[in-house]
Amino acid sequence: MISVENLKKQFGNVQAVNGVTFIARNGAITGLLGPNGAGKTTTIRMVGSLISIDSGFAKIDGIDVASDTDGARRACGLLTDSRGVYTRMTARENIRYYAELRGVEAARSEKTLARFVEWLDMKEILDRRTEGFSQGERMKVAIVRALIHEPTNVILDEPTNGLDVMSTRALRELIKRLKSDGQTVMFSSHVMQEVAALCDEIIIISHGRVTAQGTTAQLLEMSGKDNLEDAFVALSDVPGAPHTRKEAA
Amino acid sequence: MWATIRTVCKKELTDHLRDRRTASMIFFLSIAMGPLLLIGLTQFISSVEKKAEAREVFVQGGENSPQIVNFFARQDISIKDPNANFRDLIKQGKHDPVLVIPKHFEEKFQTGTADVELVFDDTRQDSGNASIGVLRRLMRGFNAEVSAQRLIARGVAPQLIRVVDVQDVNLGTAAQRAAGLLFIIPWITLLGCVSGVTAIAIDVTAGERERGSLEPLLMNPVSRAGLTTGKWLAVAIYGLAVATLTMCGFALTLNFVPLPNLASVLSISPTQYLGFAITMFSFAPAMGALQMLIATYGRTYKEAQTYVSYLIMIVSMAPAINMLAQFKDATWQLFVPMLGQLMVITRILRGETVTSLHFLLPFAINMAISVVAVLLISQLLTKEKIIFGRA
Repeated sequence: MISVENLKKQFGNVQAVNGVTFIARNGAITGLLGPNGAGKTTTIRMVGSLISIDSGFAKIDGIDVASDTDGARRACGLLTDSRGVYTRMTARENIRYYAELRGVEAARSEKTLARFVEWLDMKEILDRRTEGFSQGERMKVAIVRALIHEPTNVILDEPTNGLDVMSTRALRELIKRLKSDGQTVMFSSHVMQEVAALCDEIIIISHGRVTAQGTTAQLLEMSGKDNLEDAFVALSDVPGAPHTRKEAA
Repeated sequence: MWATIRTVCKKELTDHLRDRRTASMIFFLSIAMGPLLLIGLTQFISSVEKKAEAREVFVQGGENSPQIVNFFARQDISIKDPNANFRDLIKQGKHDPVLVIPKHFEEKFQTGTADVELVFDDTRQDSGNASIGVLRRLMRGFNAEVSAQRLIARGVAPQLIRVVDVQDVNLGTAAQRAAGLLFIIPWITLLGCVSGVTAIAIDVTAGERERGSLEPLLMNPVSRAGLTTGKWLAVAIYGLAVATLTMCGFALTLNFVPLPNLASVLSISPTQYLGFAITMFSFAPAMGALQMLIATYGRTYKEAQTYVSYLIMIVSMAPAINMLAQFKDATWQLFVPMLGQLMVITRILRGETVTSLHFLLPFAINMAISVVAVLLISQLLTKEKIIFGRA
């Protein structure tokens, strides 16, 4: 479970994140939806403890990110838009490096790796040097190395950016599998169809705030629109009073 | 922490050894440095020696003074005609000095004094000017002989105008004079230690940023000091390899290649090699750490290369600064990286006393540089500007 409360972050004069609050539940896929520059990536980076939190808190499985950074890092796997790999090393070596850094036993990481290789269809690229890998192949390596320690929480920042249809589909399958394994999956996107197709819960972020939160149906209802695109536009463009899902008991 | 350091160090070493082209270039240059330098020096010294013993000089207008030609012949010196436009050639450094005997020399000579010209270019640094000394000595001898004869003809004892007879007693050999050039050896080897680790120092810092692998790396639940130390250790091991190969190059050349004129001035004992090694072994890792620190500010490999090149420039100018400022060997130099190492290695090569202070002080300074640089880099890696600032 990932819980975030009143998270704030300022860069210079820009209030990038201005009091974001949400909960991403176990065994569910939570989507962070918002236009470019809404504060999705900054929120994710704070949750992933890559940048400091100005105020508020973020907890992963109840572990406070700011006070027990390493504990929180162990509990989550994060894929950001930095997907650089070491080109003189094979895909397997790239992944093994991260497994070793996280202290995962070799036998165990091999088992985890084997599972991912099957899911993501990586058999052919596994023992090839990553020099010249396509974006999709690099993404696969990056995602496996982010998840090689089998975290219970998975955070993906715009994972489908720049991917072709095949890779996007493979990624979608992976996200569903992780969910069915009972993991907390949170991912950000600015493509509403993608979010609508996968997510159990959608959080719309705009101007550093959560402007709406709920299932697809709830968001449509809230906005009074009959299609997602209009709903997204209507809900992202609300300065001040945020729409929030009625606290369902 | 130890596990992190080991993992990172192992990864960086494998990664960079696989960069075959860079690695083999660096290692080849390190081992080739000794032979190239020593053989070059030998060639230079022997050409100096040959010129100094030259029994041949260039004279223009020999027909104008049979007496001078005769004198040269009696001294067993043979005369060669210079090239027609020797003045230009001398300026270009392509011709040895020339003695010019003008027309009408004989008439003036009979009536009193006449003059000759000695044409050379004293800005020439190579061995060409060695024959000036020979020509000057010859003319001085000729002068003395003629004036003595004239005095005798007038019934005066020639000793009268020779109150003090100055005689050159040169104990130095040409080889020893050339040994002044030995400063090149420590200079080039130390420079090799610095530039040999540049590629890897930049790749583990700015390279990570450029490639977009820094952010995910920092997401791992490990301390940044551990990551940085591991990277530094890999750079340091690389540096030690470069230093060792360079030393081996020197040792093999000195022991297996006949260098007759260097052997007298450059015989290095095992203990001297040890001193040589200790000095380089503490220097290379510190320079690696410093380059890593500078490169951390670079967003791309290229940018970092620009920054690091300034450091290399400063380091490579050290001997020039030393020469211009005329520093005498002083303890304070030991506190300055490069100057200190230069001083210690030069002392070792000259066979002067080297105390434990000469090793311990630079070692301590270098360790301090490494530790401070590693800590600063770890600190920088918490800065958002460094982690996310991509070109």
